Amino acid sequence: MSNNLDDQLRSALRAVDPGDEFAARVMARIANESMRPRRSMPAGYQWLSAALVAAVVFGALIAHDRQVRREQQGLEARRQLIEALRVTGEKLDLAYRVVNDEAHAATRENPGA
Amino acid sequence: MRAFVRRLTFACILLPAMLAAALAAAPDVRVKMPNFGSLAEKASDSVNITLDSALLSIAAGFLDSSKPEDAAAKELIAGLKGIYVKSYTFDKDYAYPSADVDMLKKQLSAPLWQRLVGVRSRKEQANVDIYMAIDQGSANGLVIIASEPRQFTIVNIVGSIDLQKLHRLEGKFGIPRLQLEEKK
Repeated sequence: MSNNLDDQLRSALRAVDPGDEFAARVMARIANESMRPRRSMPAGYQWLSAALVAAVVFGALIAHDRQVRREQQGLEARRQLIEALRVTGEKLDLAYRVVNDEAHAATRENPGA
Repeated sequence: MRAFVRRLTFACILLPAMLAAALAAAPDVRVKMPNFGSLAEKASDSVNITLDSALLSIAAGFLDSSKPEDAAAKELIAGLKGIYVKSYTFDKDYAYPSADVDMLKKQLSAPLWQRLVGVRSRKEQANVDIYMAIDQGSANGLVIIASEPRQFTIVNIVGSIDLQKLHRLEGKFGIPRLQLEEKK
């Protein structure tokens, strides 16, 4: 029984010469594959798409930078405006105080006037 | 057809020309500020603000109308064409260059400019002059020259300014409480 199985295995796994046809078929297939036109984009189009992507990224960066600068300029202008209004208010207040003080002083000096 | 052409000619040529003439005739109420280089060198703190109409509109864009103080500031600057401020603070009493101040005051002459306030305080040792440019019955500019022992300030506001609107900003943005009387 075991001898029979051994024989069957030996027979199934014996070395078989593929022959000259096999090598020829493989070589023909390789030659055929290299002859087939590539599906990928032509080199010119690849450069173009890369340039487009780069332009879009560059444009987005410039737009972002411009937006940041505009925001900084706006906030600085707002800060300056508030500072200017503060200084103006302060000086108007000083003028009011001085006018009041002088008026009171004049009233004290000439109470009957 | 001829009437239409005449009207078109009027609209295209005469109206812009009239507008340009009106703009050219509008008095310039922006005063030429002295350089004050020596003051800036000796000042412990200096403020130099130049806000022309373009910067004012940018600043207005960054004021939030939903906030009362921002809305009030926006309303105040609506008619303004420029705000220019130079202010110098000193650690000790300082004598200001009177020649520069005189040069400035020479620009503020009648009939355009009228001095609203000219006060000298013995108590606070402060001098304050307020000039207003009146053109065709409306206030188009304001100049404040304030000198105190340790602070010297010049403010030039170009455009129609409403002091009552500035009054409404009191207590906001650190603006002191002005005790101007409200118009009845």
